[in-house]
Amino acid sequence: MFHRKKIVYVLLLPGMIGILAFYIVPFIGGIYYSLMDGTFENNFVGLENYQRVANNKMFQLGLKNTWELSLWSAPAIWLLAFILSAMLKSLKNHSVMFRNVLLLPYLMPSSAMLLIWLIMFDYGGVINRLAVQLGFERVLWLEEDALRVPIVLLYIWKNLGFSVVLFSSALTAIHPSLYEYASLEGAGWWTQAFRITLPQIRPTAFLVFVLAWVNAFKIFKEVYFIGGAYPTEAVYTLQHYMNNKFAKLEYQDVTTAAYMFAVGVMVLFALMYASKAVRAPAEN
Amino acid sequence: MKRRIRYSRREGKLTLGGKLSFVLVFLLCLLILIPMVFTFLYSFFPKTEIEAYLKSRGNYDSSQWMDILYSPAQFSLRQYYKILIEEPTYLQLFCNSAMYTGAILLGQALIIPLTSYCLSRFTFWGRDAIFFLILILMILPFQVTMAPSVTVLRWLGIMDTVWAVILPMCFSPFYIFLLRQFMAGIPNELLEAGMVDGVGPIRGFLHVILPVCRPILGAAMALSFADSWNMVEQPLVYLANKQSLQPLSVMFNQISTERADVAFAGAALYILPALFVYFFFQEDIVAGIQLSELK
Repeated sequence: MFHRKKIVYVLLLPGMIGILAFYIVPFIGGIYYSLMDGTFENNFVGLENYQRVANNKMFQLGLKNTWELSLWSAPAIWLLAFILSAMLKSLKNHSVMFRNVLLLPYLMPSSAMLLIWLIMFDYGGVINRLAVQLGFERVLWLEEDALRVPIVLLYIWKNLGFSVVLFSSALTAIHPSLYEYASLEGAGWWTQAFRITLPQIRPTAFLVFVLAWVNAFKIFKEVYFIGGAYPTEAVYTLQHYMNNKFAKLEYQDVTTAAYMFAVGVMVLFALMYASKAVRAPAEN
Repeated sequence: MKRRIRYSRREGKLTLGGKLSFVLVFLLCLLILIPMVFTFLYSFFPKTEIEAYLKSRGNYDSSQWMDILYSPAQFSLRQYYKILIEEPTYLQLFCNSAMYTGAILLGQALIIPLTSYCLSRFTFWGRDAIFFLILILMILPFQVTMAPSVTVLRWLGIMDTVWAVILPMCFSPFYIFLLRQFMAGIPNELLEAGMVDGVGPIRGFLHVILPVCRPILGAAMALSFADSWNMVEQPLVYLANKQSLQPLSVMFNQISTERADVAFAGAALYILPALFVYFFFQEDIVAGIQLSELK
């Protein structure tokens, strides 16, 4: 650790200039935008923009959809990742290979995967075949409300591995003697999972949950690829609203919406940051 | 021998539950690989066959099914020849993507390790505030700073040029955070030993810190590659008026709907670099993700 070295300001300079120019100035500039009316005179209008955007039908729709899509995908990823990493742990040294396979989709470009996705979820496709085999009706997966299913599944397919890796590293840190003692006492797999594993990894579990949620707010690529800039109502996300307003050069609305969204994300982030307090005793 | 059986839990022998998990996870992994495997498989189908196949989509007749094709009537490499040599559109976009990814990785290599080093191994006024800002910027969706960014990029005169996409990505807060996490975990004794030998901050960075950071640099590189290779929002907004500069990630969809015959070959080629990166860096990537936990 270097103390009171002036050279740090020189070394930090290039990075800080960039962060300032491309992130912090726009971030602060956004607040300015959202408080002005954007006309030639550019008057200060206070919270008027916020009021207008909040009352906008498309904004409400986007907010609702983004919220609901994340409500589907984040818990699903969390639960699946927990179960999978618990299973991986019982595989011992075989687990590495499987974990890496689970991570592979994370690197795959979504747009390249879309084609096969559309074939699988076609009305005559393999998913519907499976549904009929299991005694269900065929579903028009690629239209209206049902379109959410392929989108959420594509998102889960791509992001599951990330959470599994986080969970797995927490799981392997649990001392094995705890389990040995539990099995001597006759505790089964289920009891062990919920009485030992879950309490032991609680801080990580919480973090994975918040991270999965914050990231699920960013679902856009997948929807954009399937539905374009104006997808069916059921999957019109907040990001669509912002991008479309942007295309119409209505910057005030874009930034105002963005800030309202950002506040929501930051509340989650505050929770995540607070979880450090939860974490600290476990580490010491 | 007896001991070994008794302690099988530790020595890698699977319990009954473990065997069951093995089967389940194995099946799930197959399921996860299916989309990729079929993308590659279909890329070898000849034009007529794959066009007919894709045309059979969107048939709402409940009595009919799409076939599931497993093997081409005739193994064909014609479509690869087409997109690589005959029609340069795809290759042009592919090269755009490669250019963006390469430039972003290079820029990040110059900026990010140094910035993380400053934020982790120095004490100075405002350090924690900067780090906190970076954390916040890291989790915000791209759209939050999108509109004001355009004003900044216009003012800099780089809007609608490749730099509008490359430069902001070079300072990506997530990777500063990731490397800072790793560097903060390097034992202080290492640097102190160097300082006793008269190593200053710069040599400390080049000869002590950087060599130790090798795994995390690999991880950051691989994750950043995945980001840049797959980026959509930035070029969509910053290059809105420049079709010719768009990367493959934005344009691929359009190509694949217009040109069904080469769609799968294009997808397979598009995946390939990501696969290479994955195979070379998979262990690093795992290590990198583990570090993205807040500590």
